[in-house]
Amino acid sequence: MNDLIDQLEELRKAAPDRITAASDLSDLQRAESELIGKRSPVAAMRRTLGTLDDDSRPRVGSAINDVTSDIAGQIARRRAELERLAEDELLRADRVDVTLERVTDPVGMQHILTTTIDEVVDIFTALGYRVADGPEVETAYYNFDALNTPPDHPARAESDTLYVDYGEPADEMLLRTQTSPMQARYMETHDPPVYVVVPGRVFRSDTLDPTHSPVFHQVEGLAVDEHITFADLKGTLAHFAREFFGPGLRSKLIPHFFPFTEPSAEMHVSCFACDGSGCRVCSNTGWIELVGCGMVDPNVLEAVGYDPQTLTGFAFGIGVERLALVRHGINHIRHFFDNDVRVLRQFT
Amino acid sequence: MNVSLRWLREFVDVPDDATPAELADALAGLGHEVEGYEILEPRFRGVVVGRVDGIAAHPNADKIRVCQVDTGEESLEIICGAWNFETGAVVPVAVPGSVLGEDFEITRREIRGVVSNGMICSAQELGLGEDHEGIMVLDDRLPIGADFANLVELPDVIFDLKITPNRPDAMSMWGLARDLAALWGIPVTIPEITLPAGGDAMAVDVTIEAPEGCRRFVGREIDGIALGASPLWMQLRLERAGVRAISNVVDVSNYVMLELGQPTHVFDRAKLAGERIVVRWAAEGETLVTLDGVERRLSTEDLVVADAVRPSALAGTMGGEDSEVSATTSDVFIEGASWDPPTVLRMSRRHNLRSEASARFERNVDPNLGLIAVNRVAQLILETAGGVLREGHADAHPHPAKPWTVTLHPRDVGRLLGVDIPVDVIRRALEGLDLETVGDDELIVTVPTNRPDLTRPADLIEEVARLYGFDNIPETLPSGHGGGLTPEQRNLRRLRWVMRAAGFHEAQTFSFHGHDELEMLALAEGDPRRNGIEVKNPLREEESLLRTTILVGLLRSLRYNIGHGIRNVGLFEIGRVFFNDDTPEQGVVPHQPVQLGFAAAGSLAPPAIDQPQRPVDAFDATAVWRLIVDQMGLRDAAVTQAEISGLHPGRGAEVSVGGSPVGFVGELHPVAARAFGLAGRVIVGELDVDQLVAPQGLWEFEEPSVFPPVEFDLSFDVGGLPAARVLHQAREAIGNRAESVRVFDEFVTDGQRSLAIRVTMRAADRTMTAEEMGAARRAVIQAVEREGASLRGG
Repeated sequence: MNDLIDQLEELRKAAPDRITAASDLSDLQRAESELIGKRSPVAAMRRTLGTLDDDSRPRVGSAINDVTSDIAGQIARRRAELERLAEDELLRADRVDVTLERVTDPVGMQHILTTTIDEVVDIFTALGYRVADGPEVETAYYNFDALNTPPDHPARAESDTLYVDYGEPADEMLLRTQTSPMQARYMETHDPPVYVVVPGRVFRSDTLDPTHSPVFHQVEGLAVDEHITFADLKGTLAHFAREFFGPGLRSKLIPHFFPFTEPSAEMHVSCFACDGSGCRVCSNTGWIELVGCGMVDPNVLEAVGYDPQTLTGFAFGIGVERLALVRHGINHIRHFFDNDVRVLRQFT
Repeated sequence: MNVSLRWLREFVDVPDDATPAELADALAGLGHEVEGYEILEPRFRGVVVGRVDGIAAHPNADKIRVCQVDTGEESLEIICGAWNFETGAVVPVAVPGSVLGEDFEITRREIRGVVSNGMICSAQELGLGEDHEGIMVLDDRLPIGADFANLVELPDVIFDLKITPNRPDAMSMWGLARDLAALWGIPVTIPEITLPAGGDAMAVDVTIEAPEGCRRFVGREIDGIALGASPLWMQLRLERAGVRAISNVVDVSNYVMLELGQPTHVFDRAKLAGERIVVRWAAEGETLVTLDGVERRLSTEDLVVADAVRPSALAGTMGGEDSEVSATTSDVFIEGASWDPPTVLRMSRRHNLRSEASARFERNVDPNLGLIAVNRVAQLILETAGGVLREGHADAHPHPAKPWTVTLHPRDVGRLLGVDIPVDVIRRALEGLDLETVGDDELIVTVPTNRPDLTRPADLIEEVARLYGFDNIPETLPSGHGGGLTPEQRNLRRLRWVMRAAGFHEAQTFSFHGHDELEMLALAEGDPRRNGIEVKNPLREEESLLRTTILVGLLRSLRYNIGHGIRNVGLFEIGRVFFNDDTPEQGVVPHQPVQLGFAAAGSLAPPAIDQPQRPVDAFDATAVWRLIVDQMGLRDAAVTQAEISGLHPGRGAEVSVGGSPVGFVGELHPVAARAFGLAGRVIVGELDVDQLVAPQGLWEFEEPSVFPPVEFDLSFDVGGLPAARVLHQAREAIGNRAESVRVFDEFVTDGQRSLAIRVTMRAADRTMTAEEMGAARRAVIQAVEREGASLRGG
């Protein structure tokens, strides 16, 4: 019996070398067969158990089980190790140069004018404004008459305004020169109070130069209520300027003239590029003209049937191209309309 | 308008310590936009006016002379190399100790053995011009010994102002001074106008035959003037104001216009036939050669100042060459009129003739300013050109203008401005502008005729605000109201995002195109896009037609990019197009829907290391539509093969939502692509945005099945049957258990077109059995074969 135990110990001692020597999974498979398989010495010993006496049988049986499970455990650990090494090898072979790129679905950029309009609109919707849209081919009535513009005002001249051949001659159909016609259109169809912004395309009889284009964009703003004051206009535009350009920005209103506002003003903001000390962006003035604005002229309110005795309001027009030109240092307005992909890609 | 600070100081006592920047701020704060200012400093110190009392030859040189020059305090011997003057000439003299330029000090020095005690200067040496041929010879009436800098109006600051169109009065020294004086609470000084007692009675008879065009016509006459140069100071002031000096008479007229704001015109009286002036409408076909030498053909809409026979001037716009003052002129007639602004505006526009005069008359010149101005012109002509003033003045005055009153409630000032301004501050502001005020609770304000822009309370409140200072008004925010974007506006933003996700950059193209560009699209006869609205006054042919399609602009931009070496371009734009049809919207304006256009050339995906670059084709166009449908949640969307005008006849599709057409997608017709210079396939699409962004209503949740799917493939010989029809039939046959039905192959064998489809099904409540799958398979085969297809191998 002790011979058997000694033999088992021999087998146990010899096993690790054989297992470690297995350099791949198939060799390990062979080692497993040799060490604990059906034709292994351990299996042979198990088959002799029946010949042992009742005293020895349990001891030897238990020793066989011990050695078998010990060896099986070693094989399992070696197998796990070999599997891991094999996968590592596989992964090493699977390496790619990840600095190569494959952009299968490139996403386009949003036009900077759209982005600018959205930003302006979002500032005003957060203040409780609604957003409206209106026709680009307009009548002289909405573009001029309803806005208190006299019949012979120079802005109506063909040198300023593009007229189109449509409808009755008396309608004087034109391409709107400002988003302001929507003031009258909106008030005609909505009861006060009115808080609305109107982004849109406008047209002038201009040739393209660095700061002018026959087609450009404005965001019109209109607030009409029972208690609207010039101070509200100042506060609203100052808020807009700080939201758009940053909290440190200073703004001021300078008297100006528009037929449809009284008083009229132009908002200047401190140059965000030099903080007012003077630079190329602000033509060394420290200030940038940004917005035309004013208190809605009583004639405009009357023309839409609002009562100027009880209602006051302010209106403003923001030039979208100008905002984008100054903010991004773009040197020519044509870059907005050439649609050069090399420029469009910059419009983040 | 260029405004000299020195000149302005004659009208208002500008604080000595005010810097140019502070004055610019003050002017801007009053509403006179300052586009810039220039500081003029003398480029010399200590130069005085001297008179050459004697000239002698230099003993040792023949090209230079020895001059005896009286400088008031002393008589100096000065050597001079210039020969453009004689004894008696009045000249600028740099005396010893004076400095030219930055640091060139003039000293006594010996020139070839004779001491020169200073230097007689040329314009160039004084930094006053380029002339260095000779020394400056000055007006011999100038005081000897006077400081020369002062005589050439230095130092000075020139402000470049932009006067708003509502302020005719502010286009003058007087008007600007009045604003500044009101701001500072000090008085305005106007030049004292004194005229000598007259001679003969007025010779010219003035008649106004067109009272609707002329509100007042004032005239004066001077006999025996001598045309010559105007004084240096006047020339300098005009030059700095941007007006060319011409002659004493013309210069005086321009000077008074800048000073008082009233344009005047001086006629050579001898050229006025019949010694008559008639203000009348021109006869059709009459002509007038204006001062710029252009012969103007007149119409009955032109208002003229005529003599007994023919027009002598275009009223308020420009004088005529025939009656212009010249060297032979002896007697003059001075006109100071007030013209109807729209009449002048129309004339200057019709004749494309903008003058300093018309710019003022268009703005509405005070009818009561003419007489003052004519008197001032007479005074200055007498001073600079001599002559004898005739007794009295002509004054035709069909529409006497009188001051008017406006009632202002002080509380309305606060109601509009948002700040309480005491009534005495309001009154002081208005009175500073020469407005009279009466009352307290209710101010009765009398407005003088020089402020036609002040007719309503709001106009007066603006004046108060200007003088109170916009900067002193607080900043407040009106209390909030519910705002935000509508569902359609939010969807529009999503639509833009979808197009970007599809690989297209957003573009902005002009809303115009040219006739030839539209032709390039090769649209069919009768296509509504051929019927565009014409621009009546386009600046360029490319702007002569309003766009009926966004594609022209996009294709133009594709060409631009390809021309710059960028071969793969996808662009989209969302904007209005305009149709010249009989279905106007919002009253009378034309139908102008918002559309989405897209176009791409080359490839939408860049080439990758492991896959070749795939050029765009019709399937990319339909894929864009598919993406829009999925992302916008459009229900009942369909693609129908169609021959679309302008598209490849076999590669275009009409797309629809809920049975209503939305637009088209597909490949551009090769003829159009070639016309735009685009090689290879070009995909395009144009869709009606209103339908794409219309709210789709809420979607219903569907619980995902936990059971496995089953799949089967079928191949059909389909002939010309569209894939969309095959898929539709298959889906209908299976009903709600269809998870996906798609075509995975299209092939042609022996001229027979076949489609292979894969059907994936799943039941919500159980694993589907083989029997159920078999039944579904049979149902699909039957449904597809009903459309004329046949199962392959079936």
